[in-house]
Amino acid sequence: MKSLFYKISLLCVAWLAVAFPAAALDGAVVIVNSSVAADSLTADQLKDIYTAKTKYWDGGQAVIIAVLPDKTDAALQQACGMDSSSFKTFWQRLAFSGRGQEPKRADDASALVALVASTKGAIAIVPADAALTGVKKVEIK
Amino acid sequence: MNSKTHKLVWSVGVPCLAACAVQAYDLNLSSNLPPVTFHGFASQGLLLSSDYNYLGNTTQGSLNFTELGLNASINPFPRTRISVQGFDFDVGNVNEYDPFLDYAQIEYTFNDDIGIRAGRIRRPGGIYNHIQDVDLARTSVLLPQGVYDSRWRDFYCSIDGGEVFGSISLQKAGSISYEVYAGMLNPAGNGGVARSIESGIYGSGLTFGGVDQCPIFGAQLWYNTPLDGLRAGFSGGFVSDVEYSVASPGMTIDTVINIPFLQGSLEYVWKSWTFQAEYFTLNTSGNTYAHVMTPFGPLTISQTSGSNQKEAWYVGASHRFNKWAEAGVYYTEDYENTELTGNSKDFQKDLALSLRFDLTDWWIFKVEGHYIHGTGLINDNAANSGMTYDDRGWFMLALKSTVSF
Repeated sequence: MKSLFYKISLLCVAWLAVAFPAAALDGAVVIVNSSVAADSLTADQLKDIYTAKTKYWDGGQAVIIAVLPDKTDAALQQACGMDSSSFKTFWQRLAFSGRGQEPKRADDASALVALVASTKGAIAIVPADAALTGVKKVEIK
Repeated sequence: MNSKTHKLVWSVGVPCLAACAVQAYDLNLSSNLPPVTFHGFASQGLLLSSDYNYLGNTTQGSLNFTELGLNASINPFPRTRISVQGFDFDVGNVNEYDPFLDYAQIEYTFNDDIGIRAGRIRRPGGIYNHIQDVDLARTSVLLPQGVYDSRWRDFYCSIDGGEVFGSISLQKAGSISYEVYAGMLNPAGNGGVARSIESGIYGSGLTFGGVDQCPIFGAQLWYNTPLDGLRAGFSGGFVSDVEYSVASPGMTIDTVINIPFLQGSLEYVWKSWTFQAEYFTLNTSGNTYAHVMTPFGPLTISQTSGSNQKEAWYVGASHRFNKWAEAGVYYTEDYENTELTGNSKDFQKDLALSLRFDLTDWWIFKVEGHYIHGTGLINDNAANSGMTYDDRGWFMLALKSTVSF
């Protein structure tokens, strides 16, 4: 009986993890270009962006994803459920079949912030301690 | 440009050029427009087989295994995207470095639920059809060939037409993404269909007259389950009135066939593991007419009907160990004629083991071994002239390197 209760509890926890993904990203924040109207996104909306389900912001501007390889991999996995290699392959498949634009890459956090600041419609996951100049921080609910 | 020069350009020049551009290249046309973004890749492979010439003259080692894509895209207006890709490839005697327009399309996305795409588009089909010749998008060098035949990309990959695409949310039950398409197929004179027919009439004295453009329609559905990484797909379609002719002096033989096809797919991406399984079947049925020339015009002297069912499936798994190393394995079976499953000339079973190394962010290298039983997919009778097809097992080694930006 105790074992059955334990199994049911585990199943419930697993279901909750699937149905209600964690909102905050470990050690990272989400930033967007100042042209993006949104001040906050739900975890589902963020996932839809990173899995190419949502390709345009509300005003019709194209979403441009920018990434920082190696530095924000854990947060990326939290956001979209893919590790960095799967994420890269996923977007290469879209890019070379005409179904999407591969994320832009930056070499370090400051370059990533600068890239987002200068690219209309851009969004990125950056380390929480990065200096956020010229970009807008978006709350993940 | 002769063949040797072509190979030199492809094998050395293009990869070097591509390697110079590690990042995508953005071209600013005007301050009022977003930039045009360029991406590209170049792949060069080597195939070496123990017994039969499969996908080229592989018993001697074949370098005729090359792919190159260069694309450009721009979002000129809200919710609108234009993208173009040029492509070139060589697999044995198929295409032979003859560049062509792979896709050229305009896309408008109304919202996440629905969008339209028109022009020359890449046809969806299972996990890989729309990217079956993009080496960097998978672990293996060769995809399971019964499902994704490298030589038949002119028949499977691009269509002139359009599609409706989108995603339907099922709330906590996941979502369904869909693509419904219709258009025209353009079999190439040096494509896989043409080479297959040429192989079929090899030594008969007949000459091949070409394959006509033909209509196609179909759909790809994916059920994205609430479990992250797990999806199930269903694809179906119909190719109508595929017409080709062969001739001998004084006589022409025309064949018109219809091809319905179905594909089921299952994929689960869990942490660094990917598990995949797919089933594919197509039926070819139609009529063959033999005409002789008379002083009064062509006279039909015979008409025959026939049909053939093909089936193929595979199961596979891959695992990424770290940033630079990945391994994969798959087992696949192909039956070119489901009524002759015991004949080794009509089936091909393949166990493949692959290693992929991401040497840098823009350069990958793969090595792959195949143990194959049967010769159902070897349809180059000219290259295998004098060979005995039997049910012995045989091996193939595949090496491939790709650079991309």
